[in-house]
Amino acid sequence: MPDFEVVVVGAGPAGSIAALSLARLGHSVCLLERGPFPGSKNVYGGVIYGRILDELIPHWWEHAPVQRWITRRGTMLLTDHQSLCIDYRSTAWAQAPYNGATAYRPDFDKWLADEAVKAGATLVSSTTATGLVRTNRGLVGGVKTDREGDLMANVVIACDGVNSFLAKEAGLYPNFSKDHLTLGVKEVLALPRQEIEARFGIRSGTNEGADLEIVGGTQGIAGGGFVYTNLDTISIGAVLSLGGLSASKVRPEEVIAGLKAHPSLAPLVDGAELKEYSAHLIPEGGFDAMPEVVGDGLLVAGDAAGLCLAAGLWLEGVNYAIGSGKCAADAVHEAIAKGNFSKAGLVSYKDRLEATFVLRNHRKTRKAAHLLLSDRLQNRYPQIACDLLEQLYTVEDPLPKRGALTIGRALWKGSGLRIRHALRDGRDALKIYG
Amino acid sequence: MKIAACIKWVALRPDIDPLSGSVETDDRFSGVSAADQAAVEWALRMGEAWGASVTVATVGASIAESALRDALACGATTAIRIDIEHPLPSAAVGRELAAALADADLIVCGDWSLDRGSGSVPPFLAHARGAEQACGLVALSLDATGVVRAERRLDGGRRERLIVRAPAVLAVEGSTARLRRAPLGGVLSSARSSIDVRTPSTPNPAEPVRLVHARPFRPRTKIVDGPHGSVRDRSNALLGMGSTRTPPQRLVLDPEVAAEHILAALHAWGEIDDPASAEGQ
Amino acid sequence: MTDISRRESVLAFDDRMATVDFRISHTAHITVDSEVCRSCTTRACLVACPAKLFVTTNDGGILFNYEQCFECGTCYAVCNNEGAITWNYPEGGHGVVFRHG
Repeated sequence: MPDFEVVVVGAGPAGSIAALSLARLGHSVCLLERGPFPGSKNVYGGVIYGRILDELIPHWWEHAPVQRWITRRGTMLLTDHQSLCIDYRSTAWAQAPYNGATAYRPDFDKWLADEAVKAGATLVSSTTATGLVRTNRGLVGGVKTDREGDLMANVVIACDGVNSFLAKEAGLYPNFSKDHLTLGVKEVLALPRQEIEARFGIRSGTNEGADLEIVGGTQGIAGGGFVYTNLDTISIGAVLSLGGLSASKVRPEEVIAGLKAHPSLAPLVDGAELKEYSAHLIPEGGFDAMPEVVGDGLLVAGDAAGLCLAAGLWLEGVNYAIGSGKCAADAVHEAIAKGNFSKAGLVSYKDRLEATFVLRNHRKTRKAAHLLLSDRLQNRYPQIACDLLEQLYTVEDPLPKRGALTIGRALWKGSGLRIRHALRDGRDALKIYG
Repeated sequence: MKIAACIKWVALRPDIDPLSGSVETDDRFSGVSAADQAAVEWALRMGEAWGASVTVATVGASIAESALRDALACGATTAIRIDIEHPLPSAAVGRELAAALADADLIVCGDWSLDRGSGSVPPFLAHARGAEQACGLVALSLDATGVVRAERRLDGGRRERLIVRAPAVLAVEGSTARLRRAPLGGVLSSARSSIDVRTPSTPNPAEPVRLVHARPFRPRTKIVDGPHGSVRDRSNALLGMGSTRTPPQRLVLDPEVAAEHILAALHAWGEIDDPASAEGQ
Repeated sequence: MTDISRRESVLAFDDRMATVDFRISHTAHITVDSEVCRSCTTRACLVACPAKLFVTTNDGGILFNYEQCFECGTCYAVCNNEGAITWNYPEGGHGVVFRHG
């Protein structure tokens, strides 16, 4: 006799939503968390997009512990002394139902887990799942924990994060590799509220916020950076490909220091006091690096399933965690009704993911990781774009002005890049964003 | 035999503003101190060794119940919370605990709490119960039922060995034991256990000492005299230049005469009062 | 560069780590086989670990500490010597606790 119908391992967004949905469907569900409270181990790099929550928690924006609502979204290209920013601002995002929000994950994740507990889930924190328990029929029938006694259930949903030891133990993650991972490092810097609003051009006294994503400026390591505003802190960080990082001689915190010293970012963070330094791995491999998400008696969701959209213009993760958690709950609900907890009984999870934004977006952007971490996208194109604008904007009287095409052609020639590479990149970009 | 442990919910990592001195606490970073955890562990060990029931008690707000549940998960039998919104003075806490734990034979407390830190609740509790007290315990071992051999920290690094017999109040330091890890079954069942919530017996105990006004500590101005004399004089004085100094002498004397010389020299250096009286001793 | 930013740029690594809250477990969740590390030429963990937990010893081995670990998994992901670093999650309730993650 299992202790619960379902055990959800990990009380992050994926786990909490899976537990919340299952509890609402009337199932007994245990939500296992290894931290002292949900969210205590979690770090992210930007924005929570909450549209997927509308249905699950109506008017969630009135309750969620949000720092600021994003009304300014920028993509910056950095070279060592130049920067080019596509800077979009909209007051439409400052009203319900909002577009994106910044939050502290220890606050946000705890809130989501508390919602699951309100719905009837049992939260057990400070308990690490150390392995899977198999039934005599070979199905996963529970988890071993670092406490005395195992936790038995009909189905286990592994939402145990990017390192997912459970998915690996079940043999669902044979292609786990550093090539599909990036390291996010972040500093949270304290500044007075008004100062943040002034520096980021946010209407003062509001809880509107800015999120700037950065390409370049990572000292030759493939990756990127980000800066975003919280109420009275700024978060600035870098996302670094593990392959690039381990081959370089630059340490992660030095990359952040480099970003903070960049002439276009230094004025934003100057004089701010470090409140917290943090780091986390990010599964940026995309669609092709995903593990199997369905096993016998086991589903994998969230970061553990490699769900994270790192596609330049789109940098999302929490919403996919929530979406996959919801799909997992629905699939488990169906499996319980049928009484079939084997892989065949749970396979509707994969179909549900395919039918929703979760896998469709990942499939659409499957070439993004490869494209965005390439040297051309990381260094060469930003350099050409910045140089083009520099020469266009520089007034060189008495020399006559050269047109953009002339400058562009000269820069292209000088760069030594091949037209066919650019065409291929353009085709990939069209597939992703077109 | 009935054993009890007393714990207190405190902010483990308070955020103190260095400018204003204001303290911000966060329930996620709160819990019970190492000393209180050791107290629960000793109570559980006594319960196991002597086949006794173990009650955990706290005086605090409802958030403190999560600490009680942790103790229940580890194996405590019952949990009592005396419901207060605002902190009580230590004497009142001692009285409330004594009333709630009137039937307990041995009560184990943490040596002091992290927030107030006066360590006065265990003595007040012992007084209110009319029981013996043994505070500042750094080592314990269990003897026959109701008997504890303990070592107590005294000033100057000294130790005192005690044999404590019930009824008594023990206050243990955090280093004496590490609280066991609760089994999974205990964690699950403790979430459903009921906690005995009581209202304080004296709703508004008169505060013997009331804080009227407090201001930050400012050390009194200390006036240090400037140096006297010229730089040259002072450096000469430091180096001993210009001062007469008796060069060392080598004397070969009879022991008796030598002793007199030594005593005279000690007297001259101010080490002893008078050679004659020193000789008398 | 202002005085403050100059001060910031020389922020000692220990001070950086002191901003993070760790509930230290009494058992280590990382183990390193220093014998394997002696023959390692890349030593990616030294540079990649964001908490700088790995340092070389005089005799060419690797010294590590587990106390101030972010539990990110970078070390064993970048380690190219099978079995040199074993890494698991620390005991429940212990390890890093973020406030502003």
